Amino acid sequence: MEPLLQIDNLEITFGRGKDASRAVDGVSFCVWPGEVLGVVGESGSGKSVTALSVMGLLSRQGRVTGGKILFQGKDLLTMTPETLDTLRGVEIGMIFQDIMYSLNPVLTIGKQMTEGMRRHLRMDAAAASARAVELLTRTGIRDAAQVMKKYPHQLSGGMRQRVMIAMALACRPKLLIADEPTTALDVTIQMQIMQLLRGLQRETGMAILLITHDLGIVAELADRAVVMYAGQCVEEAPVHELLTDPAHAYTRALMQAVPGLHDSREKRLYSIPGRVPELYGDIRGCRFAERCAYAADCAYKNDAAMRQIAGKHYSRCDLRGEATLLG
Amino acid sequence: MAEPVLELRNVSRRYRVSGEKSLFGKTFDAVRDVSLKVMPGETFGIVGESGCGKTTLARMIMCLERPSSGEIWLHGRRIDNLSESARRALRPRFQMVFQDSGSSLNPRKRVEDILREPMLYHHVGDAKQVDGRVDALMDMVGLPLEMKKRYPHEFSGGQRQRVCIARALSLNPDVLVLDEPVSALDVSVQAQILNLLRDLQEKMGLTYVFIGHGLGAVHYMSHQIAVMYMGRVVETGPSDTLFNRPAHPYTKALLDAAPTADDTLRNRKRVELSGEIEEADGEASCPLLPRCPFSRENCRHDGLTLKEADGRMTACARILELDGKQACGSTF
Repeated sequence: MEPLLQIDNLEITFGRGKDASRAVDGVSFCVWPGEVLGVVGESGSGKSVTALSVMGLLSRQGRVTGGKILFQGKDLLTMTPETLDTLRGVEIGMIFQDIMYSLNPVLTIGKQMTEGMRRHLRMDAAAASARAVELLTRTGIRDAAQVMKKYPHQLSGGMRQRVMIAMALACRPKLLIADEPTTALDVTIQMQIMQLLRGLQRETGMAILLITHDLGIVAELADRAVVMYAGQCVEEAPVHELLTDPAHAYTRALMQAVPGLHDSREKRLYSIPGRVPELYGDIRGCRFAERCAYAADCAYKNDAAMRQIAGKHYSRCDLRGEATLLG
Repeated sequence: MAEPVLELRNVSRRYRVSGEKSLFGKTFDAVRDVSLKVMPGETFGIVGESGCGKTTLARMIMCLERPSSGEIWLHGRRIDNLSESARRALRPRFQMVFQDSGSSLNPRKRVEDILREPMLYHHVGDAKQVDGRVDALMDMVGLPLEMKKRYPHEFSGGQRQRVCIARALSLNPDVLVLDEPVSALDVSVQAQILNLLRDLQEKMGLTYVFIGHGLGAVHYMSHQIAVMYMGRVVETGPSDTLFNRPAHPYTKALLDAAPTADDTLRNRKRVELSGEIEEADGEASCPLLPRCPFSRENCRHDGLTLKEADGRMTACARILELDGKQACGSTF
């Protein structure tokens, strides 16, 4: 089987000369047809810029300085803008965190919903509108016909995210890129949206590239996950394996630094010391070393390359089976 | 038993909704009939989704807003009806830390001046004592002394929140209202701030009101918790009781909706709420009625008063009746 999306040794740089900062530094991963791949990381890990670069949406300061992004075997980076345009919104859909600014405030939902279908699928107004109503209904919007006539500000956050999802699915994409799709929503609404995404994914068989800072969301939705830290992938594994037997020191620290629902005051929370490093110049060795509780006698400090540690489990270091960290 | 440090008695806050043309205008009740007691040296956690009234409640405790009805007492003294000057005199006793550390620090002032300001305003000692106190505060919140000459933008989010905490502590308050103090921070930094707050509480005997939407963090911080929905407290009690054996369907739904990396919890039976927040018909109706999977006829006139059930106060004990274990709800 061929991967749907293959990111190969991707490098993204912001700024120039002395100020150049490599936000993404040699990132590689694949999204297979029909799977949900979660990419987890904190701010500055490079997860969102990676997603944006797939859609060719990097801001002017950021540019791809190395690597390949292959979609169904074709390199998106060398494609003409016209060809890219036929992929974007048709084969690849995207939903964003920012539900406030991702919809045009002066156009009705109906107008925005049908725009893509009319342009890419050459549907006439009536057919596009009928399909839009059908899609909105499918995302759980009651009286979709009424919602078509409304403007974004008349809808709640949860409704707007449903509209965004319906819009992204309009042309039946093979890949949906979801960048923090539920971060701006309240928890009970967040759960509804997660269930919706999972239901739609099972129904249509599309693949989802899910970008999030929340390991919990990855646990709920993804089949496989990539953990990013300071512009690199540090661990990649099937979700169950990642959560039950994390190998990388950062993954382990991250899991223990989040208070669980049923952890009471009795147990002290582990906190990762320090902060994410700045990404200027050439950085050698393990990027997590200075914050790592295991760094003292670490065999991987100088050679922290990604390596296979079990079947589909890759990591830059291997601490499986080590005792848990104490606060 | 010790006296509560802070007590709210039947506090409500009603806002007039602007843009309404009718003669009397339309009103919105942000907080409705909330009563709670905060004991000394403890953390009282308040959880709820956006619009549930938790921030309005915090603002009323801080006297930034007056209740439309009800009373707020601090150390046995009623504070909600104080004059401006009396409130100012009392201010050193209770302080607040906000979610957005970036916008709650003056960008044109050095951190040492930010920390000095409250002490100069309230005349707590001469210049030398104040300077000594600034250094002590920096140390207390774990910031290196040489950073005191810097401006807020030179700090990371976590460090800025430390400055806010230091400023709040500068006047030796005994009550600290923390409104989502870690929500804007990265996961790895959240734990640092939560642990710092707990250490300070232990060292100084501080009393916290902790408002948050991250349920794990609220549980980790709090001794007592109140769950709010549409301006009302629907369930309140010891945090372990509430989180491990919720009684109210909303508390259960909130806990069930929280995404978790814990593999053992992932396939738990969950209570799901349908739709989004909407007003229930009828004054006496349970506010959750339109969304609750367990609603019955009774809920139209019973679902507001808190009753004692299994060690906590709750407006509805449906989950306990249905028995949490053989569990209501469906698997996700």
